[in-house]
Amino acid sequence: MVQNRKKEPIIVKRNQNYRKRMMEPYALLMPVLVLLLVVFAVPLINSFIMAFQKYRLGSPDIGFNGLDNFRKLFADDDLGLILKNTVIYVICSVAGQFVLGLTLALALWKKFKGRGIYQSVVFLPWAFSAFVVGLMFRWSFNGEYGVVNDLLMKLGVIKENIAWLGTPGYSLFVIILAMIWIGVPFFAIMILAALQSIPEDIYEAASIDGAGAVKKFFRITVPYIKPTIIMTLLLRTIWILNSFDLIVVITNGGPANYSMTLPAYMYTRAFSGYDFGFASAIGVILMTALMVYTLIFLKVTNYEEGM
Amino acid sequence: MGNKGKRRAVAALRVIILAFFLLFVILPIYWMAITSFKPHAEIINTQQVTYFPKTFTLENYKELFEIFNYGDFLKNSIILSVLTAVAVTILSVFGGYALARYRFRGKTAMLLFFLVTQMVPGILVIIPLYTAYAKMGLIADAPHLGLWIFYVITNLPFCVITMRSFFERIPYSLEEAAMVDGCSRMKSLRKIVLPVMFPGIVAVFVFAFIGAWNELIAGIIFTSEPSAWTIPVGLKSLIGKNNVKWGAMMAGGMLALLPTAIMFMVVQKYVVEGLTAGSVKE
Repeated sequence: MVQNRKKEPIIVKRNQNYRKRMMEPYALLMPVLVLLLVVFAVPLINSFIMAFQKYRLGSPDIGFNGLDNFRKLFADDDLGLILKNTVIYVICSVAGQFVLGLTLALALWKKFKGRGIYQSVVFLPWAFSAFVVGLMFRWSFNGEYGVVNDLLMKLGVIKENIAWLGTPGYSLFVIILAMIWIGVPFFAIMILAALQSIPEDIYEAASIDGAGAVKKFFRITVPYIKPTIIMTLLLRTIWILNSFDLIVVITNGGPANYSMTLPAYMYTRAFSGYDFGFASAIGVILMTALMVYTLIFLKVTNYEEGM
Repeated sequence: MGNKGKRRAVAALRVIILAFFLLFVILPIYWMAITSFKPHAEIINTQQVTYFPKTFTLENYKELFEIFNYGDFLKNSIILSVLTAVAVTILSVFGGYALARYRFRGKTAMLLFFLVTQMVPGILVIIPLYTAYAKMGLIADAPHLGLWIFYVITNLPFCVITMRSFFERIPYSLEEAAMVDGCSRMKSLRKIVLPVMFPGIVAVFVFAFIGAWNELIAGIIFTSEPSAWTIPVGLKSLIGKNNVKWGAMMAGGMLALLPTAIMFMVVQKYVVEGLTAGSVKE
């Protein structure tokens, strides 16, 4: 419905014009909506149906099998390990990106000569493909020719080469490190923008009132950037959880699933065994977990009040 | 410590932090870059790891194009990314304009739907799309069409929202004044709004281009023939081999990073503006 508000002082005189104008937003959005419905919503619904089906690509024997896929998933011996990896991977990556991103943003807050150039270098990883970053880290942590082993050896930290990507624990660590590397700019950009939107005079007023730096940080800075932090954390957690290019490139989940996360496992099961029913079941569980997580997160952080 | 001393300590800390991040970002890139210029024998020399190429060579780049058909991958990636960016930008201008300038029934639901699309694991959409594409013959006959559609829809929601925030920053009175002066709505959009929107359009174009350029998983799944592979898919196929050609691999990585890195550095200001405009809202 067309209504007038400050920004849209649209005076509708004739009925015909009114109707035409009412349809305009739908017409403008039509291509986007049709595309998203056909290529996004419909497949998504199909996925949910597949989760309750015996569906192996190429096999003629396709039909509903109730909760079999889910039973199979919960009977999977590796599920515990994979869930544990997933939680560690997400928490460490998000925490690392957030802490480093916040630090970088604070360091960039006050203007200095050459800040523009510095930013365009330090924010670069944002534009990089996870795939190439994966290659970069895989090569750096190579057990035989890798630069990391060589550096650690020269510094006297280690005595002999470590097979980073072939050792349980270490392989996941390399993936997390790569994920942090690629994600710091995003956090820094978001937080920096929020910092720069804080009006200067508030700090001046606080100084006159005798507030110290620490007090100003927690009483002014933090409340101001809180909504940004909440939204960035929320979106990034989901994005990090869902993305698995790095895992595919660096370790492919190895050794023996020690760096496998749930979405990576879903991908592996879908396109190495073509067991689409089983993979979709994992997807459904993942989606449900994400929804629950979002609701709890927004509730706990009081997002609406934070605005 | 006096006030002056304190301030000096903070300044010093700041320099250390800034230097740390510079090294943190540059070192891995440096390592990739110099590896791409080393001859194979130097790369796999376990006796000595060199921090600057002893012999400087372009053989890895040559090998990339002559043996691994990198030219094809490059061509496919460029075509797909440009087409994706063009389509996404045009659709975002219309969609973003509608969301910024009109109130209408279903708007909130639409915005919520856009948000949900950002939360769905991509693979959950890829699986059923794959079966649909296979049935329609897209995987075998027109892999780029299927991939293009997928890249457009995955980048659309964020870009539409971003474009909307850019439109919202332009006062409506600007458009109105133009219309009063005798411009038609379309003309006022073209002559007045779009020039002011330039940063937003650049940002959205870059987002969509980079999104398509960097994508790996759908590329692997929706293409079957090497002639259709994009850069990430082509390079990925090199990893599986027993004897990984690290030199060629790093050269390929360098060439994959270059366009997006240059693009980002040139329009960094707009991209950052777009990022912050798009993600916080809604």
